[in-house]
Amino acid sequence: MSPEFLDRFSRGNTICHRLPVRLKIVLTLAAILAAALIPISAWPVHGCLACVLFAAHSVAEIPVAYLVRRVGFVMPLVCGLAFAVPLGDGLANALPAAAAIAVRSVLSLLAGLWLVNVTPFDRLLAGLQRCGMPRGIAAMLAFMYRYTFVVFDELAKMRAARRARTFSSRGAWREWSAAAQLLGRLLIRSLDRAERIHSAMCARGWDGRIRALE
Amino acid sequence: MPSSSLAPILRVDRLSYCYPGSHPALRDVSFELGLNESIGLVGPNGAGKTTLLLHLNGLLPGELGAAAPRRQSAADRRDSGGSVITSDVARGATIEVLGMPVTAATLPEVRRVVGFLFQNPDDQLFCSTVLDDVAFGPLNLGFPADEVRRRVANCLAAVGLAGLEGRGTHELSFGERRRVCLAGVLACEPSLLALDEPSSNLDPRARRGFIEVLRQCPAAKIIASHDLELVLELCTRVVVLDQGRLQADGNAHDVLSDDNLMQSHGLEVPLSIRYGQRLAEPGK
Repeated sequence: MSPEFLDRFSRGNTICHRLPVRLKIVLTLAAILAAALIPISAWPVHGCLACVLFAAHSVAEIPVAYLVRRVGFVMPLVCGLAFAVPLGDGLANALPAAAAIAVRSVLSLLAGLWLVNVTPFDRLLAGLQRCGMPRGIAAMLAFMYRYTFVVFDELAKMRAARRARTFSSRGAWREWSAAAQLLGRLLIRSLDRAERIHSAMCARGWDGRIRALE
Repeated sequence: MPSSSLAPILRVDRLSYCYPGSHPALRDVSFELGLNESIGLVGPNGAGKTTLLLHLNGLLPGELGAAAPRRQSAADRRDSGGSVITSDVARGATIEVLGMPVTAATLPEVRRVVGFLFQNPDDQLFCSTVLDDVAFGPLNLGFPADEVRRRVANCLAAVGLAGLEGRGTHELSFGERRRVCLAGVLACEPSLLALDEPSSNLDPRARRGFIEVLRQCPAAKIIASHDLELVLELCTRVVVLDQGRLQADGNAHDVLSDDNLMQSHGLEVPLSIRYGQRLAEPGK
């Protein structure tokens, strides 16, 4: 998997891509709020919202297969929540509540996916800042985005290096423990890298304040 | 010493450094660098080259061993970037940049004068677009937006990447990333460039281009490299570092052509000298 997967279609050129960034942010927030707040008994409204979202994705030329895979990625989490949370109320009410959580999550996710796939990330961050997001948060997100690519690269190299010296499958347990070690090494390497990045920032006069070119 | 007639831009005096829980990385290193002089820093892996460069920018806290370090006040020790600097002046060691001792108080000025090019471009290119990254230094120096944009455009042009402002840093090739790093350093208009392995991992064409870009930079340079041909082309003087000690310091051609010296410190005489086919006049 490559991190490009996160926002593969963000540099397209459809009408959705050309809309003003702040308008897109407001539309997305509105869709998420609607998905979260409208009572689930008004299910036709949710159905309409789903149709609108799918239409928006198709206008932006984002393929359905991509959406399915992307939503599938977070489904374990959504399902876990959907079934764990309502169990407190007893089994009788659990099923409708679980369905409500699942529907709301998937709709919100679709709205968010639309936003990141019709706006290049740096422009999205600039838009969010103009909507009042604090600079510190924007800087953190920018770092996250920048180094997602580097960390994924590093992970791919480490996995290739391991595969190059793995001559036969040694059972699932060994595989999992090797994967855990790999992730541990990746964490340590990332911490080292964070230190070097801090040095590089200091070397160019960083004093703890984040400045941006407006 | 060839630099003695000029006012030094850099003076390192009896510098020692030991990484926490490790053996000494630098032992009693002293040298000077004149204005507009270019010096090559050569030596085997682990000789202390990068450690020395990091000190020039005040990026390493100089813990100088057991011999009663002179205490600075807590306020003094905290540099503006947030990391704690312990005294570099302990045991009489000093680093001076343009006559300023490198201490917590002078760090902002020192970092303006000394531009540091890191070995790995991915450590240095931390912004997501080329424009933001090259603008990072000038913005921190407090320049207004139009001056920052002017500097970004000039420096990108100087490294041969004019007009690449809008590109994402992760989309660039390795050679382009290193050039953008250099543009980001040049945008602060440093008087001294500290370059850590500037030609590593570059293909021959990118390496050649990078050497030519460096040749055009008017700043004094200190270049840590295993690429001895590059050192021979760009530097008038060479310092050999091994096991944290200064082993030799002299005219680039003289030092690099000394077969015994080179062999005993894990180096070799550059082929251009060995075969008498010098690619360029030494020191030019």
